[in-house]
Amino acid sequence: MLTARYIANDKLLPWLLSLTETRQVLAPVQVGGQTLFAPLDADSRLDLKGLADASAKAALLPRCETLFEFHYSKSEGVPSRTELELRETLPDQETFLFGARPCDAKGFTVFDRVYDAGTRRDIYYCSRRDKTLVAVLACTDPADTCFCNRVGGGPGETDGADILFTPVKGGFVVEAVTERGDAFLLEQPLVEAEDRTEEARKVREAVSDAMPDEAPLVGIQSKVLELFDDKGFWEGITSKCLSCGACSYLCPTCYCFNMTDEIKGDDGVRIRTWDNCMSFQFTLEGSGHNPRDGKAQRMRNRIGHKFSYYPELHDGNLACVGCGRCIVHCPVSMDVRAIVDQARDRALAKEEHVND
Amino acid sequence: MTSTDATNLYLPDMATIQEVIQETSNIKTFRITLNNPDAMRRFRFEPGQVGQLSVFGVGESTFVINSSPTRMDYLQFSVMRVGEITEKLHKLRPGDQVGVRAPLGNCFPYEDMKGKDIVFVGGGIGMAPLRTLLLYMLDNREDYGKISLLYGARSPSDMAFSYELPEWLEREDMTTELTVDNGTPDWKHHVGLIPNVLKEMAPSAENAFAVTCGPPIMIKFTIEALHSLGFNDEQIVTTLEKRMKCGVGICGRCNIGTKYVCKDGPVFTYAQLRQLPNEL
Amino acid sequence: MASSIDDLKSAIKEALPDLDMVIAWTAGPDPLSHTPLFITDEADIERIAWDPRCSQNLAGYLTGLRGKKVGVVAKGCDARSIVELLQEKLIDREDVTIFGLHCTGAVDARTTRKALGSSRGVEDVAIDGATARFTVAGEAKTLPLGETLQQKCFTCTGADAEVCDHFIGEHGLPPQVGERPASTLEELEAMSMEERLHFWEDQMTRCIRCYACRSACPLCVCQDHCAAQSREPHWVDQTDHPREKLMFQAIHALHTAGRCTECGECERACPMGLPIMTLKQALNRSIQDLFDYRAGTDPDQAPPLFEFREEEKNIKEREW
Repeated sequence: MLTARYIANDKLLPWLLSLTETRQVLAPVQVGGQTLFAPLDADSRLDLKGLADASAKAALLPRCETLFEFHYSKSEGVPSRTELELRETLPDQETFLFGARPCDAKGFTVFDRVYDAGTRRDIYYCSRRDKTLVAVLACTDPADTCFCNRVGGGPGETDGADILFTPVKGGFVVEAVTERGDAFLLEQPLVEAEDRTEEARKVREAVSDAMPDEAPLVGIQSKVLELFDDKGFWEGITSKCLSCGACSYLCPTCYCFNMTDEIKGDDGVRIRTWDNCMSFQFTLEGSGHNPRDGKAQRMRNRIGHKFSYYPELHDGNLACVGCGRCIVHCPVSMDVRAIVDQARDRALAKEEHVND
Repeated sequence: MTSTDATNLYLPDMATIQEVIQETSNIKTFRITLNNPDAMRRFRFEPGQVGQLSVFGVGESTFVINSSPTRMDYLQFSVMRVGEITEKLHKLRPGDQVGVRAPLGNCFPYEDMKGKDIVFVGGGIGMAPLRTLLLYMLDNREDYGKISLLYGARSPSDMAFSYELPEWLEREDMTTELTVDNGTPDWKHHVGLIPNVLKEMAPSAENAFAVTCGPPIMIKFTIEALHSLGFNDEQIVTTLEKRMKCGVGICGRCNIGTKYVCKDGPVFTYAQLRQLPNEL
Repeated sequence: MASSIDDLKSAIKEALPDLDMVIAWTAGPDPLSHTPLFITDEADIERIAWDPRCSQNLAGYLTGLRGKKVGVVAKGCDARSIVELLQEKLIDREDVTIFGLHCTGAVDARTTRKALGSSRGVEDVAIDGATARFTVAGEAKTLPLGETLQQKCFTCTGADAEVCDHFIGEHGLPPQVGERPASTLEELEAMSMEERLHFWEDQMTRCIRCYACRSACPLCVCQDHCAAQSREPHWVDQTDHPREKLMFQAIHALHTAGRCTECGECERACPMGLPIMTLKQALNRSIQDLFDYRAGTDPDQAPPLFEFREEEKNIKEREW
């Protein structure tokens, strides 16, 4: 039986601040009118209402991270020669990620399958993952744009998390989900949850039951693929798309990146930064050829990746966790749910047509 | 997990340029060795695999290793000048430092090709990936049947590997045909498009493999020509070029459907390609 | 606006047979923001929505559709973008049919959502004098305009689409500006240069470089070939330094100086809520002082930075 504790509302912030003595605490705080995950300090304004504007993904995949540094110098022996030194820079920050939502944490499992894949371990990601304890906060007020229940998740689920916080009367029930979450909780000066775990379970169930019952968006890998050559469909759904990167960058599962060198004088860095499949440059080849030169082709790959290619490669798991940030923040209010629904309907209609 | 018990996928090995060969007006070949002698000794790759070359401060770009695993004095990369990184590579001289992440990707099915006749069809810089397999086969000559090579370029001065062509033309254990789109008075070989010359050569498809690489339009018509000669899709092998960054199937840009060219490719049979969404 | 929307629908219905498409708005996935609707089929006309939630400036689509016969629905500010595109010869007047509207103000979905607590159940929005009236799950709610409208609405220079082919509604009503909240530009003008830089660096730490500001800008026509991603020349580096991100904003603002009509799309599109239109406003003030010019008002006028004159009335190059 894993540890369950309770913390009263007024004890939460002091407790989180006490954790900052030994590690970084990332939590949803108000920054300039937005709610973003940022290092918590005494001046932070914690905001636990609803979903943060940006996802928690930067905790594990920073928007910009240095892979290594390099330094050029003149060779001592042969002055015409230049010598080069490389210095690996690996993350070592212990972090407690608090207040991520179940969708945010589930996003981490999408990364895990790609970044921690057997022999191809990405040590930057894996180091961060190992040093970050993920505490999710069960949702009590899903927005209209939330659809975690349609993509294999739920407002009280714990995939990808170590600890689960559930709001109950007067405070939170804090339950360990993994062994390391358990080890952490055992060390914390929190009171026993006692029978409040039952109350927490009911809270989660009630929220889950109240979510609209709509068709799941899983298991449609082949449907999306059937439409690959249906130019009219992709152009139609993409006509209003601006081809910007707001959806990708706010998405808790989008993990594509770019690598670039930046140098000043003799010192430089190779950095990796978030990249965006909706950008023209993403697949532009040296020759000038671009396999996805139109926004329709790029959207086809984006939807394909999330709902077809990724699930095909990873046991049916989608690369979408239903947080709805791409819907809320899209400058032209595109709706990924509607696109996938339309794709399925169109593919089904085609199949029927063939069978007629 | 600590950094010491895992390899860093993104950290290049330091290497030194030993020799630079000006192949054509816009192609240079770089012969490099890893700075760590042990690493160089331990280095293994298979024909068709690629590597990422770094010019620190500019960036990284993907090139096929076009030397043969049977000749490990150096690793050879041929670079056509097309953009920022290739531009900077072209400025490098022997003794300069570069980074290498290699080998990456899959290789030509050289085991399955044993005992078969092999037809190489290369166009322009597309000859580079064929070279590694050709050299490998010439060094293991008894394992393979007839070897024929058709190499085409825009003009005689656009032919890379000119230092090797006389040997390939003279060898009795292979047939070599060269063609250019635009001839010169002293050009003694074919003038004409690769697919047309291929049809004239008419290699037998029986117990054979065709390996082709070149510009997309050339590939398209070469495959048509191969089909007309009786080659089926399983007998046609090609190697793809895509924009790549990570080289290990993570960063997300080189996929065609579920396949990542950097990891699952760059070598595909035409039969495999036809299974993939049409997004070349 | 019940009558306006009926008039709009019938005007579009009449024009559609001669057009490849008409771009209007329809109800979106979020009850506080409508979404663009590309109409090619008469049946879609019924889906058109027109109220203060129609915030996107549809003019931005026109350059990408050049060569097609396109109808576009435009508020006062949107129409000024269309005029600017015409001035710059980026679109052809004979190919564009403008359905002009009188606008009572455009909702800022982000601030309104915060003010209402949630966007759930919002059924209707109307601007009435200095108040925004909402119907939320059947109940009436009001908010002051300062918590509802986009900042650009408070400096609106004309609520009507002045250049258009079909005007829908009553022409000639002034913009309903009501009480005007303090603008970021005014706040900045009260600061020292150092404080201003500090302000922007602080803001730019939030920038995630999604370039929604650029993609949403109707005058940003380089798009796929933007200085932001160019390595040669290397104007902006890819590190996370706020000054690099500010550099991009500076480039954007300079590229749109004397062209920007302050439609506010850059700021509305920004998922991080950065007040980036302020940079363009500041440059526009200078353009107005120097050239006595406002972008997007006269289709026949050339933008001042598109022309070279040896003598400029308001520019003294030398002291003598």
